[in-house]
Amino acid sequence: MITRRTALSGLLAAGAIAAPRIASAQGAITLPLPGRFGVETFSLANGLRGVVLPSARAPVVLHMVWYEVGGADEPEGQSGIAHFLEHLMFKGTPTVPPGEFSKIVARSGGRDNAFTSHDYTGYHQIVASDRLEMVMEMEADRMTNLVLTEKEVVPERDVVLEERRSRIENSPAALLDEAAREAMFGRRGYGIPVSGWPDEIRKLGVPEAIAFYRRFYAPNNAILIVAGDTSVETVRRLAEKHYGPIARRDVAPRTRSAQHGELPRLVVRRDQRVRQPQWGRDFLAPSYRMGETRHAFALQVAAQILGGSQISRLYRSLVVDKKIAVSANAGYSAGALGLSSFGFGATPAPQGDIAKVEAAVMEEVDRFLQGGVTEEEITRAKRRMLASVVYARDSLASGPHIFGQALTTGRTVADVIAWPERIAAVTAAEIEAAARAVLVPARAVTSHLLPAET
Amino acid sequence: MISFVRPLAWLLAIIVALPASTAQAIDIKPLTSPGGVRYWLVQDSTVPIISINFSMAGGAVLDPVGKEGATSLLASVLDQGAGPHDAAAFKTLQDDAAARLGFWAGAERFGGSLRMLRDARTQSVDLLRLALTEPRFDAEALERLRRATIAGLRRGEEQPSSIAARALNRATFGEHPYGRQVSGTAASVAAITLEDLKALAARQLTRNNLIVAVVGDTNAQEIGPLLDRAFGALPSGGPLPEAPTWAPQPPKPGGRLLVVQRAIPQSLALMSLPGIKRDDPDWYAATVMNYVLGGGGFSSRLMNEVRDRRGLAYGASSRLSYYAKGGLFTASVATMNERVAESIAIIRAQFTLMAQDGVTERELTEAKQFLVGSLALTLDSTASIAGLLHQMQVDGLSPDHLGRRKELLERVTAEDVRRAARRLLREDALTIVVVGQPVGLTPTE
Repeated sequence: MITRRTALSGLLAAGAIAAPRIASAQGAITLPLPGRFGVETFSLANGLRGVVLPSARAPVVLHMVWYEVGGADEPEGQSGIAHFLEHLMFKGTPTVPPGEFSKIVARSGGRDNAFTSHDYTGYHQIVASDRLEMVMEMEADRMTNLVLTEKEVVPERDVVLEERRSRIENSPAALLDEAAREAMFGRRGYGIPVSGWPDEIRKLGVPEAIAFYRRFYAPNNAILIVAGDTSVETVRRLAEKHYGPIARRDVAPRTRSAQHGELPRLVVRRDQRVRQPQWGRDFLAPSYRMGETRHAFALQVAAQILGGSQISRLYRSLVVDKKIAVSANAGYSAGALGLSSFGFGATPAPQGDIAKVEAAVMEEVDRFLQGGVTEEEITRAKRRMLASVVYARDSLASGPHIFGQALTTGRTVADVIAWPERIAAVTAAEIEAAARAVLVPARAVTSHLLPAET
Repeated sequence: MISFVRPLAWLLAIIVALPASTAQAIDIKPLTSPGGVRYWLVQDSTVPIISINFSMAGGAVLDPVGKEGATSLLASVLDQGAGPHDAAAFKTLQDDAAARLGFWAGAERFGGSLRMLRDARTQSVDLLRLALTEPRFDAEALERLRRATIAGLRRGEEQPSSIAARALNRATFGEHPYGRQVSGTAASVAAITLEDLKALAARQLTRNNLIVAVVGDTNAQEIGPLLDRAFGALPSGGPLPEAPTWAPQPPKPGGRLLVVQRAIPQSLALMSLPGIKRDDPDWYAATVMNYVLGGGGFSSRLMNEVRDRRGLAYGASSRLSYYAKGGLFTASVATMNERVAESIAIIRAQFTLMAQDGVTERELTEAKQFLVGSLALTLDSTASIAGLLHQMQVDGLSPDHLGRRKELLERVTAEDVRRAARRLLREDALTIVVVGQPVGLTPTE
């Protein structure tokens, strides 16, 4: 067993952020000290990695297991199997009857749930700290002992189809988003909805679910994260006892295709249900792990400056000055194993014109590409981003989600701790270079949500 | 069932060891600032952050007729410039302090919250003071947020959940002010003027029934003067009209069923019954009843019957809500059009069963175990603790309530639950709204 605790303390010390003072028109703006997540790590001989975020605020712990598998890892023709299996993980083992997992947690005054994305699948319980061992024992149990029967699987498949109707099919905006993702990434990986396509979901059964489970659910493909009223010693001891005996399993390394759809593309959804039009444009972009990864930090700052707040360039131009939109924003997330996208969205004002909105956004983008990002803009954007770390530390669930997402998309605890420093170090030249590399019209998907033609 | 099922050791352990009471987890101090602002404080230095939640008498019930949404628009406009700072300058100052300031309008209260870094507390509180006492009400900001509000209302017209909630609210409360939408309608929002907002601000931004909760890295010596700074300059405020008494719709055999036709593959059904107020003696019995029936997530009867056994929906749930002059019991389910009638029939049958037989002793025990034990789960950030402290004061509870709550719940008997169920779950008082293209359902009106 290797423990990274000692090595990490050094990193933590190095992670202290200086607060550079930057002169601006309105006087000195100081970057806030975000502080650091108090985080400790360990790993077990079978490959399970542990992350512990102690906090004594309330006598409560959040226990999570993240698997390095998601919708983008599904076999061809089995879209939705990762998410379906997430549901089926509540259907019992030889020791915990179907449906009992959540009831046992509730009887202890706890709550539990699970989630699936393209890159990861997570299971979590929040319970009184004296129930940590109980939930850990059950989570370890279903890591290896899941039992599935037709009786349980068939109704749950209908549940998954109803979930898809609620989230996607009843929402024109969600249907458009699905089409735009497919246009961007093609009918593969991130271009396939995590919920799956209904025709393929209907063909999923016990054999597909069990095969997927055997392939990916293993201690060496999992990350244990515990936050709250506990210590790394306690968590490690309990993890040794409950997760330790589970055998390692060969899990093939995951791959993500660098291919994408045929770009540029315009995706239009005219839908009689639509009352409020919406415009969007997404540019194919690198992530921390794929593409021109050197731009990943600068792109985050660029998104803040362009459209991260009510004092961003887009909001001021489209919403305040031109009054042609009621919202205008930009967004970018670098946290993915494969490629990502840098997106713009705007809601036209009542009686507004979607073409004018598009032209105004692109005018701002062109202006941005020509340079002239000010130091003050950069500092304010960074301030807002670093403040989010302070507030994230105030919540029991934020830290575990940040670390879970990072560790299941190819990054490390040290990467997370270094994030504020890396953001603080981004320069104007880097922002402009990143924007020029990514905001290329030939690599965009434009989406229009419109009412039906009358 | 299967004899191979062997309970794990802790399954037995739970029966004897109830979750420890978490009341001691937080120490609530009721205090008064030097300037006379009463507040509740929980000191918590886990992170150098302070959260303040507050509210005063007011809310959407004060919106003039035909101008529904005015108090809600007031809440949106209030942080769009104050004192010498226009909207952009005011947002910039919030960013510079890394402060998070926001206001909200409820049916019967107007409120807000401020989350701030301990080191920036004075400048952050000054922004709250400015917003409360010197809002600018620039015409530009009003028009901008009016456009955004109308766009948001239109988007709501696309969303089954929002269509159904509006229809149910109207059907349940009729002409009573509770039936009006806090956010208004496109037409009513279009009619609101700057003068309307100023008049509502004068009536509501006062110390009338001011409730303040503070949680975080501070203490009474430090925060008291800051609260005086934030709220001290507000006028004491005059009496406000109370909402009129609410009389539920007259009973109708079999209840009422309304259908809002929408071209969607899945129907959403919302159901409501007149409920009870927060101070009703049956509150805790009703809370237990609701947990067993549909409030208990994966443990509830509705979830078991509708989702687990039949795969009819992603979720089926119920909840209790309350106003000053009444309460509601509501339930919801979303099922494909072809089978939604089946989901509704199952839920109605569960209502009937609960009203007849109440809960089993085992269900009663498990509900108490969750309701007592889960309190601590909500204490996971300064903001959520401040939210709890604020709500306790709105509900008229005492600072030691969290310690007494356990006893109040544990005292509930199966007979209490059955009495509450019979009071609440009355077939002829049921109103159902379905949005979609439901098959096999005949509207009653």
